[in-house]
Amino acid sequence: MEGTHNESPIPAWVRAYVLQHLSAEQLAAILDVAEDGIITVNAEHRIVLFNRGASRLFGYEPAEVLGQPLNILIPPTYHQSHPQQMEAFARGPVESRRMASRRTVFGQRKDGTLFPAEVTISKLYSQDQWYLTAIVRNAEERKRYEDALIQLNQELEERIQLRTAELAERNRQLQEKTTENEMFVYSVSHDLRSPLINLMGFSEELEMAVNRIEELLGDPRLPPDIGEALGQLLQGEVKESLGYIRTAVERLSRIIDGLLRLSRVGRVEYRWQVVDMERIVQRVIAAHHAMIQRNQTEVIVEPLPPAWADPDAVEQVVANLLVNALQALESRRGGRIVIGSRPGDAPGRFLYFVADNGPGIEPALLPRLFQPFQGKAGSNSGHKKGEGIGLAIVQRVIERLGGQVGVESTVGSGTTFSFTLAQPGESPPPPSHHEKEAPAHPHKEAPA
Amino acid sequence: MSSQRLLILLAEDDDGHARLIERNLRRAGVINPIIRVADGQAVLDYIYRSQSDLPLLLLLDINLPQVDGIEVLRRLKSDPRSSKLPVIMLTTTDDPRDIDRCYELGCSVYITKPVRYEKFVEAIQRLGMFLEIVKLPSPPAQALSAPSGLEPCGQPS
Repeated sequence: MEGTHNESPIPAWVRAYVLQHLSAEQLAAILDVAEDGIITVNAEHRIVLFNRGASRLFGYEPAEVLGQPLNILIPPTYHQSHPQQMEAFARGPVESRRMASRRTVFGQRKDGTLFPAEVTISKLYSQDQWYLTAIVRNAEERKRYEDALIQLNQELEERIQLRTAELAERNRQLQEKTTENEMFVYSVSHDLRSPLINLMGFSEELEMAVNRIEELLGDPRLPPDIGEALGQLLQGEVKESLGYIRTAVERLSRIIDGLLRLSRVGRVEYRWQVVDMERIVQRVIAAHHAMIQRNQTEVIVEPLPPAWADPDAVEQVVANLLVNALQALESRRGGRIVIGSRPGDAPGRFLYFVADNGPGIEPALLPRLFQPFQGKAGSNSGHKKGEGIGLAIVQRVIERLGGQVGVESTVGSGTTFSFTLAQPGESPPPPSHHEKEAPAHPHKEAPA
Repeated sequence: MSSQRLLILLAEDDDGHARLIERNLRRAGVINPIIRVADGQAVLDYIYRSQSDLPLLLLLDINLPQVDGIEVLRRLKSDPRSSKLPVIMLTTTDDPRDIDRCYELGCSVYITKPVRYEKFVEAIQRLGMFLEIVKLPSPPAQALSAPSGLEPCGQPS
């Protein structure tokens, strides 16, 4: 039983003082002015003391209950068990305790109604007899507050559950939307490749024809003035036009390939496992050895904890960020890249970063940096490779791995890209619908 | 060495692509007859109804109207009459998903369009086939470093 305390409610010196200085009437009067109900029973469980407070609580006059068994104040359900508990308490070592601190106890009024009560019970051995005294307080109000609190808690919990479900649903819808968008982008870029192949192929055909014409222009049978005019036309307008077409087609091809690659990121199935980040970083560095050497960039790798992710996806992310940093440092002396990690903001996550001491990025450009075809917009690095799809891929991959990307940059001192990943032992995000099959063959127009 | 003349069946719905492929094959010195069909059903019709007993090489666009290239490949490979037919798949992208499916269905080789003769010759060699190629293409030295598919097939002086 809980709520026990071994010390007697009345210290010995208080008892001695009271007995010496107060008469029985005075004691009775003191008991009567007490707000709480005070009830004493003898060893036969008959009521021998019933103060005014008890009268107010139970509705009995003292005369009606004195000498009666205590059970008249107790709901019938407990008529069996209560006397036994009282016996046990009387014989036990504990002097005083609060009854049923875990659940509510009830008293029964004269009119038969029940009320919740807080009861403290204590025992007194006097003149070869046990006396048990109960101090009873109406707990209705407290119980009302408690009940209200419990109900509020329940309501709150229900609302939180509802909100969580709503958020999960919205998240699911968003992911579905993303998948739809990716499928759309995939279809469109797939379809765009078809006319592009004609542009590529036939501009090549034209170049071959031009080369052939050039050869023919060397034929001495051609009148010199016509030969010269044709030669100028060929070298000027025709070759220039072809050059522009070729550049545009190449660019278009890279954009479409970038879109295809980006839309593919959402469809690849991940193999979740413990990923040795240091090994992956070393492998990526080895793969870009030539570029690092050419720029004489110093690459520092700090200790990196393993992550829970897909190794290929992580390698793609690291490679994109490294190339990005190398490009930022291109044609600069003393370029340095630091790849490191620190604990992430969320529990169970690590943050990995790739920091360069390059020119930095204008603050205005930072918000759109991870959007496709935006990344390289303002870097003035003259780099057109990849058409700024790399960071968009990084973001999409990290998002699918359940992490977050970040960037901090100071113009003149460098840029730090970061991403978070789950630590091994953290459960992976639930497999989502992105693994849903994309149409292997985007729609095709019927031939005209 | 006299071999039976091989017929090339080109299944390609895009006129421009078909023309480019044909030109590149001819430029590569391929003198075999080329028959072009523009949809998947026509491929099946040709293969199962043709009276010609010439051996056939199928260049099959993955993305055809009516019956798409993958489905054509599936039907050909599951029919004992045509399961040994050499098939080169033509794809618009190097999407691993498309390529995996082709291999699963038993395609031996794929070429990403535009079809360049060196790619075509390589594919033919991988098939272990003998084609009547009258002139061998001179290997273009710069072809390796150029971006996807834009190096000219001729000799750019």
